Amino acid sequence: MQRIKFIDKLSQGKISRRQMLASAGAFGVGVTVLPRFSAAQGAPLTALEWGGYDVADYIEPYVAKHGGLPNFSIFSGEEEALAKVRAGFAADVMHPCNYSVGRFVSAGLVKDIDPARLSNWPDVFPALKQAEGVLMDGRIVMAPADWGNSSIAYRSDLIDPSFAAEPTWGIFYDPAYEGKVSMLDNELVIQIGAMVAGMSYDEAYKLEGDALQKAAQEWGTKGVNTSRFLWTDASELQQAMASGEIVAAYAWNDLVKNLRAEGVPVEYAQPKEGFFTWFCGLTLLNTGQADEQLAYDFVDAWLSPETGKVLIEQSGYGHANAKSFEVANPEDVAAMGITNPVEMMAQAIMFRNPTDAQQVEQTRVWNDIKALKI
Amino acid sequence: MASSHTGRGVALLSPAMLVMVATLAAPLLALIVMSFWTQQGFTIDRSFTLANYWKLIEPGPGVSWMGIHFPLSYPIPAILLLKSLVMSLVATIVVIGVAYPMAYFLAFRVTRNKAMWIILLTIPFWTSYLLRVFSWKIVLGYNGAINSGLMAAGIIDKPLEFLLYNPLAVMITLAHSWIAFAVLPIYVSLEKIDRSLLEAASDLGDSRWKRFRRITLPLSMPGTITATLLVFIPTVGDYVTPSLVGGTGGTMIGSLVQQLFLKQDNAPLGAAVSLVTLLIIAVLVVIFLWAIGYRRIRSRVNG
Amino acid sequence: MSRRFDLLTVYAVVFVIFLYGPMLLMPLFSLNQANFATFPIEGLTLKHYGEMAQNTSMITALKNSLLLGIGVSVTATALGLPAAMAFTRHRVPGSAGLLSFIMLPLVVPSIVLGVALLVILLRVLGVPLSLWTVAAGHLMLCIPFGMTVLMSRLEGFDRSLEEASGDLGATRWSTFRRITLPLAMPGVISSLLLCFIISFDEFVISFFLTGTQNTLPVFLYSQLRFPNRLPGTLALGTLILLGSAILVILAEVLRRRGTPSSNPGEL
Repeated sequence: MQRIKFIDKLSQGKISRRQMLASAGAFGVGVTVLPRFSAAQGAPLTALEWGGYDVADYIEPYVAKHGGLPNFSIFSGEEEALAKVRAGFAADVMHPCNYSVGRFVSAGLVKDIDPARLSNWPDVFPALKQAEGVLMDGRIVMAPADWGNSSIAYRSDLIDPSFAAEPTWGIFYDPAYEGKVSMLDNELVIQIGAMVAGMSYDEAYKLEGDALQKAAQEWGTKGVNTSRFLWTDASELQQAMASGEIVAAYAWNDLVKNLRAEGVPVEYAQPKEGFFTWFCGLTLLNTGQADEQLAYDFVDAWLSPETGKVLIEQSGYGHANAKSFEVANPEDVAAMGITNPVEMMAQAIMFRNPTDAQQVEQTRVWNDIKALKI
Repeated sequence: MASSHTGRGVALLSPAMLVMVATLAAPLLALIVMSFWTQQGFTIDRSFTLANYWKLIEPGPGVSWMGIHFPLSYPIPAILLLKSLVMSLVATIVVIGVAYPMAYFLAFRVTRNKAMWIILLTIPFWTSYLLRVFSWKIVLGYNGAINSGLMAAGIIDKPLEFLLYNPLAVMITLAHSWIAFAVLPIYVSLEKIDRSLLEAASDLGDSRWKRFRRITLPLSMPGTITATLLVFIPTVGDYVTPSLVGGTGGTMIGSLVQQLFLKQDNAPLGAAVSLVTLLIIAVLVVIFLWAIGYRRIRSRVNG
Repeated sequence: MSRRFDLLTVYAVVFVIFLYGPMLLMPLFSLNQANFATFPIEGLTLKHYGEMAQNTSMITALKNSLLLGIGVSVTATALGLPAAMAFTRHRVPGSAGLLSFIMLPLVVPSIVLGVALLVILLRVLGVPLSLWTVAAGHLMLCIPFGMTVLMSRLEGFDRSLEEASGDLGATRWSTFRRITLPLAMPGVISSLLLCFIISFDEFVISFFLTGTQNTLPVFLYSQLRFPNRLPGTLALGTLILLGSAILVILAEVLRRRGTPSSNPGEL
């Protein structure tokens, strides 16, 4: 069936050269047609990238300019990737997120970005350009690329109507929801707990010392006891939400988009304590061996509206380039729930970066709390 | 004669030993040295200290966990170590218990196509660990195979939630993951038992059970011991399975080591925890071998 | 197989169900219309196989892992067999200590091994990362497993056969080939299979030691972030299951055609 559809699309000229090559590659012939890097310049570009982003879709302008893909080394968690670079792996560019880029900077691995060398920089949302994680001590350390929200996704058919009327992060600490919700496996559980108790995010994100211990004892413990599982991968979460095993979860936009596409009644709440904006982006590493211009071309390709369109339509994440929202399919934009990105970012709480010491302390305290659970 | 015997032994061993030394010596040395250092942020202080080890045993007010009091100022490693050891021990007993009859079946009942049988036993493991764990989640999950089946049969009207995300699920998944590592060594040692011994025993009027207890079981001990060690030792450090199916309580000693190295910027403490774990496992293994009389078994098996 | 249907046979059947039951859900859900795997099935489709075929990274990763698994299992067994012979047949000075050393990879956390090997390869030796570096790491993990399985096979075999062969003037090599190897065969096959499984499934060391050539586990872990890719990976798992089953059956058919075995019970 798939083959018929494929031939059908091919005959109508709907299949791009890339898709053709990809299909051909499955049978072992593509590699020779599509060079992994352009041989003209010296060392090839090595990109440390999330598995799944290591395809031409997200860097079309780069592929067009250099006639091939860079070398991709894929990772599934930033901490492992950091350890790999620190051990001496020579990558030119890396794809961290707002909460993890600081660790790369502190480890002394990051080169500043010169925005004048990025043609798409002027179209990047101003709120993102100013965000912590892009700017650090006045330096631009990351070019924001993909972004989205973190809020509560819930099954409107299964949840208590009183929650839907006034959504709150409190359900992740409420014994009434024990075993029916899932939080992210992260020290955010403590921070958000403190927010439920009335603390502002600007205080909660940098909790330390005794205050952190106290918040962890109360909210960390409650959070661990209430969640059915603390999720680490989005596949696990989507599965549990689809089956009704959990009725509410800390989630990103893509979950809502994916589940709705399958006909699962899911709503994305705007909790009274607020919801969050996260973003990831491209960082230049000083361990690289390729020509710097290649790295800039790679980053610029990621910021292009073409990439934004693919990202919005295929992954369900927002894109840093304002123009992407104009060229993307409006249905997909709506499904993602970000129809007015500027307003959305203004309403949401932009995640902030605590100091390294605070970060490590929070991680430790959170993991110690989890360790006590049987 | 004896020295040429020794010479051949060394010659046969050296290729494998060379590979092991080349790949293992440096990491091990680094681990040991590292455990006497300290780390602040990303910088490592290379002055010698026993602080990491002291931190693991330093007395303090402590906490109670599962009714046991841990009077330590930093009780987390001790708690996780105990938890991991118990989990691994139970899983090993289950795995060996499940594997032994199957190995026995392979060795004594299967008379043709043995190679095909043992390959068939390992095919499920060629599909990648994550996919296997995922399959178990489908079996045990909320709308999974067991729950859907029971509901369709009208036995329950609400999915059972205790199937997944708890120590039981970890045990089932671990047992499934490691079963091949137990069946194969046990089978291999059962297979070599001289059938004439068994015939002689039954000629002498031994019952089946007696025959098993007096001949089969002792002679299969080397394989069973190998299986026990091959399952017990690695599962102590396994943290992926518990984190995937164990729910919020899935933290193990391996997770702590990984955290210390990657996220908590405390590789030296991670190294110390690893080494202490290693030593405790070694001591347990020695006690185990002593308790079952390994030397005696070896000499008996070797005639 | 014996025709006696007793408790043990029933047990074997239950065992095989336990082993294969969960695996069979993979093919089922790889055909499911929906992107998630819960009952009831929404409808059947082959679209996930199309997605999979278009995913060149996945296919390349599979190829790399197969290559690694075969190479590592053969090498580890080739090194493990003489080592096992040395420990069971000959006097080796300090054998208890050497044996413990070889067993260490089972106890040392793989993250330690991965990071330490990476630092040595890159910073000390200056070796670029490739599948070869991953293979070295896997070899270290596999030798202890292969060797101990072989040891439990060789332990307790009558040495008189080998000695007799030597007395009759056979060279050491032909004694090994005609007597020791056939005796060790079940162990050799077990060692090959276990090493293949270990290499094929290993994630942490592979992640650190791989450059731009990914192995299947590295690829699969990275896919967890994208829930909609799940059915594609299930499709891949299904094809691996199917492929290996076909291989085994084919090998069996060929074997039967080649040598009509009159020797039941022989491996």
